[in-house]
Amino acid sequence: MTPALDHLAILPIVLPLAVGALMLLFDERRRRLKMTLSLATVFALLAIAVTMVVMVGLPSSDRWSTLIVYPLGNWPPPFGIVLVVDRLAALMLLMTAVLGCTTLLFALARWHTAGPRFHTLFLLLLTGLNGAFLTGDLFNLFVFFEILLAASYGLVLHGSGTARVRAGLHYIPINLVASSLFLVGVAVIYGVTGTLNMADLSRIVPTLPPESRTLMEAGAAVLGIAFLVKAGMWPLSFWLPTTYAAACAPVAAMFAIMTKVGIYVILRLFLLCFGDEAGASEDFGAAWLYYGGMATLLFGGIGVLASQSMQRLGGYSVLISSGTLLAAIGTGNSAVISGALYYLVASTFAISAYFLLVELIERGQAAGADVLAVTLEIFGDPEEDIEDEDEEVGVAIPATIAVLGGGFVACTAVLAGLPPLSGFIGKFAMLSALLNEAGEIPFYHWLFVALLMLSGLATLIAMTRNGIRTLWVPAETDIPRVRAIEAIPVGVLLLLCAVMTFAGGPTMRYMEATAQILYWPSEYARDVLGSQPAGHSTSDSRSSGHGPSGPNPTGATP
Amino acid sequence: MSHGTLLLVALLLPFIGSLAAGFLPTHARNTAAILAGSVAVAGIGISVWLYTSLADGAPVQFWLSWLPMLGLDFTLRLDGLAWLFALLIFGIGALVVLYARYYMSREDPVPRFFSFLLAFMGSMVGIVLSGNLIQLVFFWELTSLFSFLLIGYWHHTASARDGARMALTVTGTGGLCLLVGVLLIGRIVGSYDIDQVLESRDLIIQSDLYVPALVLILLGAFTKSAQFPFHFWLPHAMTAPTPVSAYLHSATMVKAGIFLLMRLWPVMSGTDAWFYLVVPAGLVTLLLGAFIAIFQQDLKGLLAYSTISHLGLITLLLGLGSPLAAVAAIFHTLNHAIFKASLFMAAGIIDHETGTRDLRKLSGLYRYMPITATLAMVAAAAMAGVPLVNGFISKEMFFAEAVAEHTGSLLDDSLPYWATLAGVFSVTYSLRFILGVFFGPPPVNLPHRPHEPAHWMRFPIELLVLICLLIGIVPSLTVGPLLATAVKGLLDATPPYYSLALWHGFNLPLMMSLIAMAGGVVLYLGLRRYLESGIEGPPILRDFKGQRIFEKVLATLSWQWARAGEATLGTRRLQPQMRIVITLAVVAALAPFIANGAVGTGDMPGTPLPPGFALLWLVGGICALGAAYQAKYHRFAALVLVGGAGLVTCVTFAWLSAPDLAVTQLLVEIVTTVLLLLGLRWLPKRIENVYPSRPPLKVLLRRYIDLTIACALGGLMAFLAYCLMTRPLTQSVSRFFVERAYSEGGGTNIINVILVDFRGFDTMGEIVVLCLAGLTVFALLRRFRPAPESIEQPEQQRIQHAYDVATPDRSPGDTVADYMLIPRLIMHWLFPVIAVMAVYLFMRGHDLPGGGFAAGITLSIAFVVQYMASGTRWVEDHLRVLPLRWMGMGLLTSCATGMGSWWFGYPFLTSHFQYVELPYIGKVPAASALVFDLGVFALVVGATVLILIALAHQSLRSSRAAQASEGGE
Repeated sequence: MTPALDHLAILPIVLPLAVGALMLLFDERRRRLKMTLSLATVFALLAIAVTMVVMVGLPSSDRWSTLIVYPLGNWPPPFGIVLVVDRLAALMLLMTAVLGCTTLLFALARWHTAGPRFHTLFLLLLTGLNGAFLTGDLFNLFVFFEILLAASYGLVLHGSGTARVRAGLHYIPINLVASSLFLVGVAVIYGVTGTLNMADLSRIVPTLPPESRTLMEAGAAVLGIAFLVKAGMWPLSFWLPTTYAAACAPVAAMFAIMTKVGIYVILRLFLLCFGDEAGASEDFGAAWLYYGGMATLLFGGIGVLASQSMQRLGGYSVLISSGTLLAAIGTGNSAVISGALYYLVASTFAISAYFLLVELIERGQAAGADVLAVTLEIFGDPEEDIEDEDEEVGVAIPATIAVLGGGFVACTAVLAGLPPLSGFIGKFAMLSALLNEAGEIPFYHWLFVALLMLSGLATLIAMTRNGIRTLWVPAETDIPRVRAIEAIPVGVLLLLCAVMTFAGGPTMRYMEATAQILYWPSEYARDVLGSQPAGHSTSDSRSSGHGPSGPNPTGATP
Repeated sequence: MSHGTLLLVALLLPFIGSLAAGFLPTHARNTAAILAGSVAVAGIGISVWLYTSLADGAPVQFWLSWLPMLGLDFTLRLDGLAWLFALLIFGIGALVVLYARYYMSREDPVPRFFSFLLAFMGSMVGIVLSGNLIQLVFFWELTSLFSFLLIGYWHHTASARDGARMALTVTGTGGLCLLVGVLLIGRIVGSYDIDQVLESRDLIIQSDLYVPALVLILLGAFTKSAQFPFHFWLPHAMTAPTPVSAYLHSATMVKAGIFLLMRLWPVMSGTDAWFYLVVPAGLVTLLLGAFIAIFQQDLKGLLAYSTISHLGLITLLLGLGSPLAAVAAIFHTLNHAIFKASLFMAAGIIDHETGTRDLRKLSGLYRYMPITATLAMVAAAAMAGVPLVNGFISKEMFFAEAVAEHTGSLLDDSLPYWATLAGVFSVTYSLRFILGVFFGPPPVNLPHRPHEPAHWMRFPIELLVLICLLIGIVPSLTVGPLLATAVKGLLDATPPYYSLALWHGFNLPLMMSLIAMAGGVVLYLGLRRYLESGIEGPPILRDFKGQRIFEKVLATLSWQWARAGEATLGTRRLQPQMRIVITLAVVAALAPFIANGAVGTGDMPGTPLPPGFALLWLVGGICALGAAYQAKYHRFAALVLVGGAGLVTCVTFAWLSAPDLAVTQLLVEIVTTVLLLLGLRWLPKRIENVYPSRPPLKVLLRRYIDLTIACALGGLMAFLAYCLMTRPLTQSVSRFFVERAYSEGGGTNIINVILVDFRGFDTMGEIVVLCLAGLTVFALLRRFRPAPESIEQPEQQRIQHAYDVATPDRSPGDTVADYMLIPRLIMHWLFPVIAVMAVYLFMRGHDLPGGGFAAGITLSIAFVVQYMASGTRWVEDHLRVLPLRWMGMGLLTSCATGMGSWWFGYPFLTSHFQYVELPYIGKVPAASALVFDLGVFALVVGATVLILIALAHQSLRSSRAAQASEGGE
């Protein structure tokens, strides 16, 4: 194995960090240089993520899961910090990289000059996201949460304006509180179990005596609240639509993955600590996730309908996506979760594309036109009745509007769960797994099915209402000027949704294997804890290596 | 090419054509039409070609692996039934394309039209060819989507938009229901494959889930096929261009629901549930549609309601559950598609050539367009069920089935009467169509002078009417084999005996036909006066406007209720959100204690409380409480008190033997307090006397609730801490750190070794956070303009200023300069001292309390002091700090140290430690972690100073703003 592959796991963190730091040294006016550096970084990240997916996703002969374990500072787990790349982490990294590429491209058209130090903030956000997906250590997770949050604070404010500052001043305190809870939770868990390593934790939890278990669960509950704030569960999510609606388009598009960090962590820790092998703590909090997810789904559906501005509608779509995923995790059924993972990717891409698209569509319009649009569409336009109804010649649509309209239809299809794009497959996969559980279908499954359907319907109604008004009604608006590098990212994201449909088999197979491995924490723990520090460069730092123990030089050079 | 592949081609061609048409130039009318036409003709060709292979009864299949793990593979399956529908879709499609070429205006951007039409055609073909129920739903939803685009094609008119939206909402909702229904079928059968489903009749109808599945599937079918009470979307879809109506409402869209009912008929029909759900829906639709159709003033409106009525007829037939009725249903589906398509096209021609479709304006057109009129008359006769045209035969079969005994219930027994009544209505509206349009006095005030259309525009009607006649006169020769094929596809086993003859002798159905015809004429004559009055819609019923109700319900549900729901279930304000987060955290943390009934406290003996320590904490507690109490209105006091509490924490750390924490806490405390103080100036002022007397009860309640929540959280934290501290230390990883800090990390200060080595990665992350915090503060404050009320100078400065102005030999600013002279001098001198202190802290860090972070904070204190002493201008004149450079270099240094270990083949951040022999000094400990720490140091300095500068520059701006506002006055 080449040295580059040896250190592959750390690259998604160090690369954007180093480039982001480097860019602090250059003056703001050197835009071309910064653009080049950022672009090179995000595309390198994409390449790295693809490599990782291939490495951990390829079925090998004797083992069905391959983990890459990377001990930082060469300290053996659970004592040092480890990075762990498994299927789930690789998937999330790939998603982050794709979103990073698309939103950065979009931002380069104009947004990146709207405020100071955009590139550094953006790359450090990627650092934080990648770190959160990679780390196998609870406190290190906190650190990366802080990185991504701190970067997001700056990015929310990017572009200035009263709305952004106001939204930012909600977003920041809420997340600071959540971070404090995070810290409290980690402290309690460390106090009880004496470890911060997630794999180690999964081994210790089943062995805890009852009084320790209670305390540990209390810590996990506080921790859970922190993650649920991030994931956007009702009623912890009221800050979210406002923030997403206020953020500038590329930032909102990148934020599409921020709630998914919360989801990811819940999925990972919930299944590691409270999965089938957790003994007395099994399924701790599952009901909370399930009902909370459904409440979020309901609230998101209502919010989508009640939204006047297109951005706010996008914010509530994020909640629908979160609610669906939380409830799916709460079912504790690995088939549902594999469907949910598919849905996670599809909905994230679609929401991201949606935020980019809305900005392009609204460019040609007077501010607040969309706000009026919804009420006009609902209650009718008094001036409209005078309109000449006999005009039976179609109106030629300018190419720009046609492209934007096509994109809008595609976004609607994915988010509402209509074919032909991947939203349909994702929902179908979840529903099929849910309804095919052995035994009688319980009441709460019916509820979930109904909510899933209704939220899709609400999305459909709200988005057609908005889209018809904005794209179909003849109005004296200018045709928005859209540059190719703004349209391409939207196209790429939607194209990926289409690819996920046509290549449904391989995609779903990956998700299925991912979900199954998540249900096998002991395997994960064995792989992570069994890895030994590297002796020297030739030895493999992956789980198979059992080299000599860490030769950290003591005193003098060996 | 194998037959299966041909199926794939038939399915893909329309989509490929659609894509190609989409890229044609805006006015490429002929190219687009030829493209669309060739696709449809190719489809017909494939269908005809495959007909022979259906002879042996086995369906043609095509299979491609798609999502095997979900039991969903891409399967195409062509049996007799699917074949008949495919032929209809392609056949009528080809004619509609030809017609549309002439119908659509030259200026119309038709490639888009043909693109949507082809995509829709493909989706329809997808439905009928699906060999898998999920795949069927997949294409089903696609037809909803593309019909939406087609109906809204003339989207510049409001009615087209409304019609399209309504069609999508209704059929989309139905589609979602259908999906769930089909999933239930999948659960019952264990497969979504249609072949398997068709074999599992017993399994399905005996299942507990049969009724829910049936209801959901019927919801899907009924919404699509416009069955009562979901029929209202169809007339509004008439705002589409006429070719679309001719296509969607004769052979395709609405027939999708019928197709689904037929597809599942073998396995789901024949039960009571099926009968009592399907028959009433069909019957009401049949009668209501026919009745309303009589009173339409719009030609297309009449045809739309007639379509609804005929769909009701087919549904009713399928609901009866007998094989013969199913045969009649298939036959009537075919007939209806043929005559209705031609009628829509005729209506379109009339509209096209006269400029109106209003029955009140049209009359006597026979003398202007005799050929069209003749054709329309034949087609209308088929619609009315007159002998010698195709509609008659299937209507006879319907009457025969209505008479036949099925369940013996009251509903079943009364069917013949209802059927005759529906026949009466259909004769009436057909008469109205013909007599109203083509006969009577010559029309006046028509927008255009009427004339015959272009021949090729009329050709599709001619062909369709010819087929009507052929089927009507020699049914067994023409349609017989086709019907037999379709029936075999539907019923599989042994098809029932049926005869396709024109003459069955004098029997009850014939009597019913005769009564219907006579009754229709009588009814028409009776209603003439009412109809001529020009009122739109039937008496009484016209007040119930489906669309109005739908829009109103939708607006209430999806807007007013949703708004109310959002406001009730959510909030846009920060405070309630905070309250919820904290309350939930408390509840969540306490829940396990309640659920498990165990309290996690340990039994470690407590340490005795020294009086000094107790006093210290008393002070700290008072400070904390005071800070909370003063936080709202006396921020300065609160901040000072927070500082007090912080100091107590600091001493506590020192007391409990944590010197590192104490040092860091102290330094951080100093810097943050100063920075907060600097920012305090720009916060909004207190609004005095919000409540003139006592605050209202609501406010008081809110405050007490907040107090309770705060106490609960504080209590919880104390409780958790108590639980943890009274427990014996766990076998934690800290032992490892203690053992190896010196032996492997090379430092005696374990905390520092943890920070820069064991968990150096965390430290690296934390400095990134600090860096980001600096950048964010900078970004936030860069555009910040102080509020007007904050611009005025503080009281102290105003007094000094006034004194300076009043005294002759002083100039403004002198007093400040004077009384700050000594402190300023000391502060200037302190700079190198603090800097040396920072270096000292840094160097000793690895072995004793200190380290990069503490050193960085210390150095930034040196800067803070300079800013405080001399003001922004002076400092920046004398000291050139480039915080961003410091930050960048700091981060890069840390990263580079980490990456350095790659060179030696170790993972990121692996440290190296050795003693270096320096000349004169001797052995000096040197760890790579020290370089890492240097990065931490640089970053901390940079970020703190950046925040400091951002805040300090506010005062520059405010004085500038103040000058500007003074200058303006």
